[in-house]
Amino acid sequence: MFNKRFLFTIALASMSILPMSILRAQDAGALLDLLVKKQLITDQEAEEVRAELTKEISTTSAGKWKMSSSITELELYGDVRLRYEYRGGRRPDDVPQENDWQERERERYRVRIGLRGTLADDWFFGVRLETSNKRNSTNVTFGGDGGTGPFAKDDDGVFIGQAYLGYKGFKDITLTGGRMPNPLITTIMTWDPDLNPEGAAEQWKHTFNFEFGGGAAAETAAGYSKDGKTVAAATQSASEPFKLKIDVFANFAQFVYDDSNPENPIGPRSAVGGNLIPNTDAWLMAWQVGARFTFPKNIYAQFAPVLYNYTGNGDSFNLHFQGGDPLLSNADSMKLNQTGINSLLVLDVPMEVGWKLGELPMRVFGDFAVNFEGDDRALAAGHPEKGDQRYAYQGGVGIGQLKVKRDWQIEAFWQHSEQYSLDPNLVDSDMFDGRVNLEGVVVRAGYMLSDAVGFNLTWAYAWRIDNALGTGGAHDIAVNPLDQYQIFQADMNVKF
Amino acid sequence: MKIKSALILIALALVSVEARADRLVIKGSDTLGAKLVPQLAEQFKAQHSGTTFDIAAEGSTTGIAAIIEGTAEIGMSSRRAKPAEVSAASGKGKNLKPTIVAYDGIAVIVNAANPIKGLTKKQVEQIFTGDVSDWSAVGGSGGKISIYTRNTSSGTYSDWKELAMKKRDYAGSSQKMAGNEQIAAEVGKNPNGIGYVGMAYTKASGIKVAPVDGVIPSQQTVLGKTYPYARPTFYYTNGEPSGLAKEFVDFTVGQAGQKIVAQVGFVPIK
Repeated sequence: MFNKRFLFTIALASMSILPMSILRAQDAGALLDLLVKKQLITDQEAEEVRAELTKEISTTSAGKWKMSSSITELELYGDVRLRYEYRGGRRPDDVPQENDWQERERERYRVRIGLRGTLADDWFFGVRLETSNKRNSTNVTFGGDGGTGPFAKDDDGVFIGQAYLGYKGFKDITLTGGRMPNPLITTIMTWDPDLNPEGAAEQWKHTFNFEFGGGAAAETAAGYSKDGKTVAAATQSASEPFKLKIDVFANFAQFVYDDSNPENPIGPRSAVGGNLIPNTDAWLMAWQVGARFTFPKNIYAQFAPVLYNYTGNGDSFNLHFQGGDPLLSNADSMKLNQTGINSLLVLDVPMEVGWKLGELPMRVFGDFAVNFEGDDRALAAGHPEKGDQRYAYQGGVGIGQLKVKRDWQIEAFWQHSEQYSLDPNLVDSDMFDGRVNLEGVVVRAGYMLSDAVGFNLTWAYAWRIDNALGTGGAHDIAVNPLDQYQIFQADMNVKF
Repeated sequence: MKIKSALILIALALVSVEARADRLVIKGSDTLGAKLVPQLAEQFKAQHSGTTFDIAAEGSTTGIAAIIEGTAEIGMSSRRAKPAEVSAASGKGKNLKPTIVAYDGIAVIVNAANPIKGLTKKQVEQIFTGDVSDWSAVGGSGGKISIYTRNTSSGTYSDWKELAMKKRDYAGSSQKMAGNEQIAAEVGKNPNGIGYVGMAYTKASGIKVAPVDGVIPSQQTVLGKTYPYARPTFYYTNGEPSGLAKEFVDFTVGQAGQKIVAQVGFVPIK
């Protein structure tokens, strides 16, 4: 018979090579059960070893963490980023102060720390804390505190960036509610990646696997796992078949864009400027259906058309979008509504094709959007002749990837967003300052200094598209219209 | 006279101390404490005159907690101590030592009038989690299934979740009972009832044991681990037992004790 110390050592050694997530005393159970089954030890000896292991583990750092038994998996993740940023906007040439740029240089940081996990019975949840109370930014500017002395903490607060729960109990379906990571496939042309929409989302995804060659095309049953990943069933053929995997997906979202409060006020509804304050919530609705085709040799293509529409006005969007006016002074132009969501019925088609050149990943990507109600939006803005300013598009190439140490990536694209094409509240706040009626080039380069630390450089330059219009949107540069705009960012990012 | 009185008082005090030393406090599992341990205690007392027992069978959780708190010499448990309990014990300078005293098979019981011939493991999981709520879905003659379970302080309650339910939650409609005998009694009265009890409680009137994947709990299937819901049962002590507790533990795992284990309906360890 083995003595207990020997068994303890064996069991502990076996556990030491297991991942931390399963580093629990009961995980030695399988080994102990096997030893009992082989009659190398008795049940009683196994129990004593098990008890010793449990006690030993309870004294380790990991063993002192207590978690609800309903949590089946938990992940701590996040990142810390340091950034230098320059951004500047130039007023139009036809104003007296020619070549007058408003410029900002900022040293900034951000922190994001999240917990996400799965629960028993196919539920899941996520919570993420973020710096900055802004909806489309997590940056905090060093020295940006307001008048309370150097190194104050006025703007260094931590906020709830994400808080959501969901259910994956139905095959191929994920249901999510709360303040969530964007469930839609998008590009920065339409959605700022820092935005965490609030509401509900329903996602469906199914994988079909086809093989061609050596006979008729055959569909094989797609495997299914609860984490949403699909696993193709193994198939056999006498000759090397042509394999095609198609992921078909549909994402539906109902986001609460702006809450109206109260919906039913005491007495008559109040008015501003002759307009009644809205008494309905504003919702952003999205319907996306798409597919990703994966061909042999790491070639893939993805198309994800999505239709956006809005209902209601909330209590913040009762004014129509105007987006500035070059005929007014800058101050007056800035006072015009920049963020109205009237007359937006947008079809957006993000797409991407990728392949590998040797071991080097490459991709061509793009996005095209049209606002079917561009005429009405232009009319409401006082420019009925500009209804054709309803298109937005993006196209670019990318080489490389940023996953592990010494990885590098270069990406360049052209983006064109007309004045009445997109919701200016959603577009990326950095590349074109959260504006529309701008077009330009964006170049990014990155290098991974280690598996967890990356260095990125980004530069973008944009020009006004239609000189008869302003450049509407939620902005950092207090100039409208922006005749020209540029931004440079240098980031050091640590992720965990 | 004063000297005589003092001697009497000293003698009484010594008698009192002696009586205190022969009292064994045992707390914990209803599975062990409702039938088996009282019978073991009776036999033990017959061999150790003057020994008294204080047995409280209110669930395994209470037994392990009693060892941690130092309010019992032996904690009966039908489940292993949880890591949180082991940690709590360490924090109080206690060392939870398990001793296997018997094996048990948790039997699935239904009303004797229920026509089903058996259940699969999957069906058992579906029933107790509420995925299935009518007997017709598992081969019965129809009728809403009434689920009877142990309460949350019970080791069997936790074991059942782990062994039979993939750690899922019990159906919201399930009714929690204080002990095995109560579950057996309710299932015996309810034609649509189902519950689980230790092997020692399967002889109650009005119930029958449902084979699971064609296997019923027996000495052979439990020891051979072919019955899916087999488990060891334990005495927990603070480290190696000593004194009267050691004598009782030794008695339990000894020949005489294991004979009683078999008589009561558990599976002896040897």
